[in-house]
Amino acid sequence: MLLAVLRVGVAIMWIENVGWKRPPDFSSLRGFTTDAVEHPVLSPFSWVVEHVVLPNFTFFAWMTLLLEASIGAFLFIGLATRLWALIGIGQSLAITMSVLNAPNEWEWSYYLMILAHIGIFATAAGRAYGLDGVLRPIWRSSNGRLPRVLMRLS
Amino acid sequence: MTRHPLDQAATTLGVAGVASLVFSATTSSNNNFVTMQGAGLIVFPVLGLCAVVGGITGRRILVRLAGAGYGAAAILQLAQFGRSTNWIDGSGSTFALLLALAIGLLVVGFAPRETHTGTLTGPTRRSSSAG
Repeated sequence: MLLAVLRVGVAIMWIENVGWKRPPDFSSLRGFTTDAVEHPVLSPFSWVVEHVVLPNFTFFAWMTLLLEASIGAFLFIGLATRLWALIGIGQSLAITMSVLNAPNEWEWSYYLMILAHIGIFATAAGRAYGLDGVLRPIWRSSNGRLPRVLMRLS
Repeated sequence: MTRHPLDQAATTLGVAGVASLVFSATTSSNNNFVTMQGAGLIVFPVLGLCAVVGGITGRRILVRLAGAGYGAAAILQLAQFGRSTNWIDGSGSTFALLLALAIGLLVVGFAPRETHTGTLTGPTRRSSSAG
């Protein structure tokens, strides 16, 4: 039960934080993205943000919105949970490398985000009170490629 | 009578849709978890009740309809988020929760029922093939 609390809690964190990524200008997100250039954490990452992301900001902002909404949605219902926990780790790393050195940031916020997703991945938390737990017996008895893949991702 | 785990899952997701009304009680403009206001106060509980009834009665068509309804609302919210016309009166957080309920109910509604032994009420045995 506590694993489900962790999973749903982390899901709501992502869901809530989709709320302030507001199209069409995504002004708040642009500010945090610019932090990666103004307060660099990792030089190659800052270069990519400056020369690839910011010139195409609207596209990347929409992708961020859709990605984080999907992480929240799939973790919330516990479907393909291990896959989405890995994606959550990746997105948490991207956020960490964007804002870690910005003023007034508490670096452990981001370390804890990563650690929470590692916990969800390691425990396959979607199998407890999640759809992975309901669907894995169906996938296990199926012969198709997709069910086999979903067994791995859950 | 033991209900099918997929029906239990549909019921649980429907209850989550109804219970999400609790987010409308938040008063902070910053820490509001999920934006829940306007037409969202109707969309979430009505479709949630539809899923609950479908789960309890075992009528999968109701579960599918609820999932499709949440999906349509999610697309609408995504299209109107940040615009002057916003029928559901939500934000990206509203879209994400609608998306979760849509995916969950559609997956449960269309999942095959043969050879099923899973449960929503606890962890299942870990498969050695899944690591």
